[in-house]
Amino acid sequence: MDTFILNWLISVPLFAAPLLIACLGVIVTARAGVLNLGVEGIMALSAAAGVVSVLQGGSLWWALAVAVLCGMLLSAVFGIATVVFKTDQVLSGLIIVAMGEGLSGVLGRGFTHRPITGFESVDFGFLHDLPWVGPIVFGQDILVYVTVLLVALTGYGVHKTFTGLRLRAVGENPSTADTAGVNVTIYRLGAVIIGGALCGFAGAYLSLSAGQVWVEHMVAGRGWIAIALAIFARWMPWRAVVGALIFGGTEAIIPRIQATGADVPVYFLMMLPYLLTLAVLIIPAITSRGSQDDTPAALLTNYLREDRH
Amino acid sequence: MIKQMVNTAIVAAAAVLLTVSAYAQVQLQGDPKAAFIYLSPAHDGGWTESIERGRVILEEQTGLDIHFTEDVAEEKAKVLQIVDLYVQRGYNIIIGTSWGYGEALQEAAEKYPSVAFMNAAGETSAANLESFYALTYQAWYLAGMAAASATTTKKIGIVAGFPLSVVNWDINAFQRGAQAIDPEVQLVATFVNTWFDPVKEGQAAEAMIEQGVDVIATNLSAASVPAAAEKAGVRFVGFQNDMSALAPNGHLTSVVFHWASHLVPSVQAMIAGTWESPGSSFVGLDKGMIGLAPLSDAIPTEVRERIAAAEAAMRAGELTPFDGPVRKQDGTEVIAVGQSITDDQLWTMDYFVEGIIGTMPAGE
Repeated sequence: MDTFILNWLISVPLFAAPLLIACLGVIVTARAGVLNLGVEGIMALSAAAGVVSVLQGGSLWWALAVAVLCGMLLSAVFGIATVVFKTDQVLSGLIIVAMGEGLSGVLGRGFTHRPITGFESVDFGFLHDLPWVGPIVFGQDILVYVTVLLVALTGYGVHKTFTGLRLRAVGENPSTADTAGVNVTIYRLGAVIIGGALCGFAGAYLSLSAGQVWVEHMVAGRGWIAIALAIFARWMPWRAVVGALIFGGTEAIIPRIQATGADVPVYFLMMLPYLLTLAVLIIPAITSRGSQDDTPAALLTNYLREDRH
Repeated sequence: MIKQMVNTAIVAAAAVLLTVSAYAQVQLQGDPKAAFIYLSPAHDGGWTESIERGRVILEEQTGLDIHFTEDVAEEKAKVLQIVDLYVQRGYNIIIGTSWGYGEALQEAAEKYPSVAFMNAAGETSAANLESFYALTYQAWYLAGMAAASATTTKKIGIVAGFPLSVVNWDINAFQRGAQAIDPEVQLVATFVNTWFDPVKEGQAAEAMIEQGVDVIATNLSAASVPAAAEKAGVRFVGFQNDMSALAPNGHLTSVVFHWASHLVPSVQAMIAGTWESPGSSFVGLDKGMIGLAPLSDAIPTEVRERIAAAEAAMRAGELTPFDGPVRKQDGTEVIAVGQSITDDQLWTMDYFVEGIIGTMPAGE
């Protein structure tokens, strides 16, 4: 039983990390009042770009950089459309999904089903031999530690810095922020591109670390789950951590329960990650009745200075 | 609910089969021009790649230049549009490759009676449309024999997609074959509920290895299952194509499609003007449409001989993987001694046989 739990806990980051990073990307973007539904497409493109870079002879870090860059470029397309040309955010996001999946298919043609050597676990020496803590905390691949760093940075950046304050102001009330001298277009575009970089990182994690191979459609809905997690987490990075850990943890235990042959209904198991995440994230919403709504007030609203009144 | 749908489908298929037998030969107009419609990219490492291998052989054998369109979604309008374009350009042999193309190809077959249509894994048929599939379970039985001879923990495993009858019969035949060599062997079966998710497939394999499984088979195509097997130093059985390159140390064998063995004679008959749609064709070992990749040296000579004997018996129709007694996981008998499985029982298979560790989702 001990090894069962240990092996399960070791594999949790594999499921949770890509969801968490993509979720952070959604949150950063949404804090500026833009909802980018294109996450699934951005992750698909970056996952393909990462593996293609490795198979072309690039190093893993180079591949990661290429993947992140692809995420930024594709989200920049979305940003220019919605922030500069004021197109509908929902519609543009869906177009990005189709674009990303299409581009990934074109780019990845000829690179599918070719295994790569991806990021391996970091060697922490004696720390790895500590009971329980060793293999769980010190047995992960380097991208998991980068993820932890990114969560801290995002949380700090959005909530504790002056730039973060302006970012949230743009998301709450762009015309007031504009009056106060904040460049709404630059802030929104910046948030979209940083969000795209995070989603690109998430896609790269899937193909370079978790799967170590690329096949078409391998993102398999994780982009949509990241958006759902961001909504459940009410746009707070630390709540996203809780949500991603519960969701990823439940997903990680499913194959392990099945392999033991325990008599549990499979379809019920498949539903569990969604149910548990929903339950846990609803609790604070119920208990903190009367508190303000956390959703950025200007979410999904494009800002046109001429419309100000 | 699902059972009802399956039953309805079987009745419908039987009705179609009966009406089809009255039809005549299809006369192509103009020179023969053939094209395939693929569900995914040609080199997807799995299903489409196995058909692509067949297309290449078909080109060599018939001398035709055979075109293909990749990544065509299972949407009626899309499939019909591609068929229209091909027909306008003078193509008169069109071969689909997915169950989900069935309805569209049936409609196209009615629209273009002088064009010959085939569909791999389809369920629909017409005077000029044939659906065909391989009796995969026959080769899975042989693969099970190989797996049982290579396990020391007496626990083997299989990672599968969804609990459909065509998947369940693979899993059950794999276990039946293993039991034929060693009755004590148990098979851990896991459905990942996806057709392509390398992360989940790899994790399912790792979880099995942690439970003591030392031979892992995949009923899917992601490279992460052989990778997990290779990393843990356990044995591996592949599917659809020869997967030996993905697990050079652990590869025991793969259950491999050889679509050309059915495509070549069919297309040759179309060219000769003697082809008529048989409705549905389920082709097995006897025609060589399914088989094993070369066996690993790890399999002892005695077992190789038994595998060869079983293969010969199946080709001759003297053996099926589901000859009675066949019992379900809980011990209830499905097929009595001296009886064999019927087609109906195959197409409605919604249980695991004895010795399988795993849970079959409720069928109702």
